Amino acid sequence: MSSARVQLTADASDALKAAHYTFDRPMPAVTIALAFVVFGSGAAAGGVGALFGIGGGVFLVPLLHVALGFPLRTAAAISLATVIATSSSVSAGRAHEHLINLRLGMVLEVATVAGSLLGGLTAHLFSEATLQRLFGIVTLLAAASVLSRVNRRNVMLDPEADAGSLGGRFHEAESGCVVTYRVKRLPLGLLASFVAGNVSSLLGVGGGVIKVPALNAWCGIPLRAAAATSAFMIGVTATGGAIIYYGRGELPALAAAPAVLGVQLGTWAGIRLAHRVPAKWLKILLVVVLLVVAALMFARSGR
Amino acid sequence: MTERPSLDDLELTLGRLLGIGVTLSSLTLGAGLLAALTLGNGAIATFLLTAGVLLLLATPIARVVVSSVGYAQRRDWLFVVLTLIVLAELIASIVAALRAR
Repeated sequence: MSSARVQLTADASDALKAAHYTFDRPMPAVTIALAFVVFGSGAAAGGVGALFGIGGGVFLVPLLHVALGFPLRTAAAISLATVIATSSSVSAGRAHEHLINLRLGMVLEVATVAGSLLGGLTAHLFSEATLQRLFGIVTLLAAASVLSRVNRRNVMLDPEADAGSLGGRFHEAESGCVVTYRVKRLPLGLLASFVAGNVSSLLGVGGGVIKVPALNAWCGIPLRAAAATSAFMIGVTATGGAIIYYGRGELPALAAAPAVLGVQLGTWAGIRLAHRVPAKWLKILLVVVLLVVAALMFARSGR
Repeated sequence: MTERPSLDDLELTLGRLLGIGVTLSSLTLGAGLLAALTLGNGAIATFLLTAGVLLLLATPIARVVVSSVGYAQRRDWLFVVLTLIVLAELIASIVAALRAR
């Protein structure tokens, strides 16, 4: 028994050592204090995931890498794990609201998959700083699009209206009735999903921050449905990259654990909050989040 | 364009599946974290943490598999093909990860 345990421990420490060779700087030791900070950031990620359908990776990577000193790839890997937890947790908590557009999500996921299969493409074309600057510009444009339509509703108040093959309907709390929406300009949604998949594993993000504004402002999808559909998709988007990082030994489970636990708290709170915030304020909050993301991206590209 | 049948029940099934997956993963990771912080980074902690991460990664894959079955039951063949394309990419990631070891 005791020798078996020693053997297992030795194997585990060998694996840890092997994993360390690929790090660009040493992993910080996971202390209780660090675990609490990571837990808090996971909770924040879960909260924005529940409210806006974005996984919070755009905030987590700089926090883990710049503020807490994790190697960049490890930060991206932990972030992707957090995105997966957020996606599963938000979708589980909100499935009964029937806001997730499964068919649209599946169609967009194929574009995301194509994007992540060609993930090396953008990395070859642009330096990391250029990619971050481009990401910042796209986020600013997204913020402007959402802001310009802050009073525009995407829904038809007729529950019998034709939703088309990819549209949907849901019970809207604000108007108290079943509303219908159609999907417009699908190619733009596909493009946004392709880009989201393309930058996902490199930047450690699920891509919701690109998809949600695109779906809402360009494709005519109500913000709540866009957020729920994006939250549903980002788990699969992040899984491909997370598996690769895990295979390379760059996903430290001990550091990811508090983030995943934090997500549970964050989504619990976020789902309750999401019901109380009117769609207009949700859009304004989303614009603020997008502006912070753009500022972070520009700041990182200048480092 | 004609409207396709409602997927409300599939949405509930997938929601339940994702909920079970992320809850099991969180409980396992939580136990592993507790073990690591109290007993040290031993075999028990390593086992629990590894199991938790694998459960986390397996959950979205299971979601794609169950979606595919759901569409097949509804004879929605286009969406069966689309889900299988997504599944193929996830399997390609697993193959790449195993090769990296």
